[in-house]
Amino acid sequence: MVGNVMNKTTISVIVSVLIAALALPAFAKPKPLDQAGVDKLISTIDDRQRNGGDYKSLIYMESKERKKNTVVYEGVVYRRDADDRFMMLFIKPKSERGKGYLKIDRNLWMYDPTVGRWERRTERERIGGSDSRRTDFDESNLKTEYTAKYIKGSKLGRFSVHQLELKARPKKDVAYPKVRLWVDAATSNVLKRQDFAASGRLMRTTYTPKWRQVFSPSKKASVYVPKEIRIFDEVEKGNKTVVLIKKTDLRKLPRNIFSKAWLESKSR
Amino acid sequence: MKTLFLIAIRNLVANMRRSLLLGGAIATVTLILVVLSSVSNGMQVNMLKIATTLSSGHVNVGGFYKLTSGDASPMLSDYPKLRAHVEARKEELGITHVTVRGRGWGKIISDQASQQGALVGIDIIDEPRFAEIVETVQGDINRLKEDNAIMLFEKQAERLEVKLGDNITVSAPTYRGVNNTVDAQVVAIAKDMGMMSAWAIFMSNSGLRRLYDMKPEHAGALHIFLADPEKADSVAASLRRSLGAEGHRVMDSAGQPFWQKFQSVSREDWTGQKLDISTWTDEMQFMKYVLSTFSLLTVIFVAILLGLIVMGVVNTLYMAIRERTREIGTLRAIGMDRSYVLLMFTYEAFVLSVIATLTGAILGAALCAGLNAAEIGVNKGFQMFLMSDKLQLLFDVNTALMAIVTIAVVTTLSSLLPSWRAAKRPPITAIQHV
Repeated sequence: MVGNVMNKTTISVIVSVLIAALALPAFAKPKPLDQAGVDKLISTIDDRQRNGGDYKSLIYMESKERKKNTVVYEGVVYRRDADDRFMMLFIKPKSERGKGYLKIDRNLWMYDPTVGRWERRTERERIGGSDSRRTDFDESNLKTEYTAKYIKGSKLGRFSVHQLELKARPKKDVAYPKVRLWVDAATSNVLKRQDFAASGRLMRTTYTPKWRQVFSPSKKASVYVPKEIRIFDEVEKGNKTVVLIKKTDLRKLPRNIFSKAWLESKSR
Repeated sequence: MKTLFLIAIRNLVANMRRSLLLGGAIATVTLILVVLSSVSNGMQVNMLKIATTLSSGHVNVGGFYKLTSGDASPMLSDYPKLRAHVEARKEELGITHVTVRGRGWGKIISDQASQQGALVGIDIIDEPRFAEIVETVQGDINRLKEDNAIMLFEKQAERLEVKLGDNITVSAPTYRGVNNTVDAQVVAIAKDMGMMSAWAIFMSNSGLRRLYDMKPEHAGALHIFLADPEKADSVAASLRRSLGAEGHRVMDSAGQPFWQKFQSVSREDWTGQKLDISTWTDEMQFMKYVLSTFSLLTVIFVAILLGLIVMGVVNTLYMAIRERTREIGTLRAIGMDRSYVLLMFTYEAFVLSVIATLTGAILGAALCAGLNAAEIGVNKGFQMFLMSDKLQLLFDVNTALMAIVTIAVVTTLSSLLPSWRAAKRPPITAIQHV
């Protein structure tokens, strides 16, 4: 009888230890990175999203503002990363149809078909009046635009993440001069991002919990594209924007697509 | 005269309560006039200081450029040439220095709010006086030399809900009609300077040129500062002639600020560049209306008070004459002339008014000094008109002397009628008065 009890106790202990050993990694924080590791991580983040060729995605953007009606946009995003070209064309709702954004070199232009005018906008432009910015839809250029430093390893839900602090490089035209990133230690995907004003004020928090891999013919490798982007306005609490990115196509686009004439033609 | 003076003093002392009451009223009116004049002087000096810091020189060489006959852009297309012309006449015209300013109108957009404002381009390195007069609450005003720098006043920053270091977007249509935006960083927040700081927004000249897609030789206006600001009109006239002689098209003097000329210039059928030479009083015309209105109200108010004083003096003198009728009769009976009786009462009023007005003026000066030292803040409504967030009174001796003379003369004249009636009484009637 004593032998039976001992066996049961031993088995319980062993099972507990095994469970703890298996569960431990889930609670463990990632190993901290040195500066070289941080720089490499930033490069990896950029590289995993960089296509090198053309990009086209169907997006749905839901913009919720306090005390206002929710607006849902359907649009198409086009990119030619080789030339640093970006274009966004709104398809729905009917009132926004034909509106678009076009980035040529360092100039971001907005087109309003109701007046047939182009207006030059800055990086701080709210896309469609939502909480999103052009950089949310464009390729990641963190290494060029920011310097990074390691804050700490932590947990974000069930994910082990590296927390990084980024500061805009001098004379770089960015929407937010200070950024904090939570990067998945396992996949190097950005899971959470906080954008700060130069004064240190938290302006918005962005979550990109889901990513998909898409094969790029130009890169001849997979490219990571976020499935959804959730942006929370930290200044006007209650305002948020959710972007769903669907039907990503990395095949070659027509040559003349990134021009004012092309975008104007879509509104006629 | 000495006898009359002694008699006047004796009678004033004998009726101390009445003298103090009437004298107090005269002194109060004088004090009010002195203080209100000091407020007006303070506003005027502030206006000159602020106008010539924020929006104007003593003389301005501005202009309009019309790409088509229907538009009007406040721009100088080749300011270096104009500056060279002005600098060449520096000594002759008594010019101390010349600065280059940009002129524009746009929308400032922060993450929470937006406001329209007059965009003023400035080369801070060339304007050390600007940094002396504009008081910085936060940040460094010298950072306005940076390309994307912008300076806001306190209330603007509060309205836009931005702090030092935050980025804001400036939006404006270029002179070609294309809407453009630039991002700017708040490098300084300055103390409010009255009405003008509600809408004046300062940024670097280079940033303003970038916004309006202007070339380096483009500017809004040259601000010219003189050793003697009183000569602004003559210097402006002289520059109109000399620039016209050099082949520039020069607009006629209109006595208006440049921003009131857009409509009329847009309607005119010409294209290209025309120069608009103005003085600081032209640019601050709208403020002059405020000052004139304030002065007029002061005059009306003091006139009403003086009217009451006159009634008081007449009434008091009638009472005094009634009480001293027998004395008058006695004086007339022993040979005092009618004119001497008239002079006696008039002199009494004169002495009282001089003492009272002098006292009022001195108290007014002391009150002005005290209020200035107390640095009393004023509410937002008054700030717009006082051109300052604190009450600033400027005591002027000439104004005080004029107040003393005016009130003393009015008071003395008001005593003539009762004095004349007293002098007219036959001695026998006066002696018999009970």
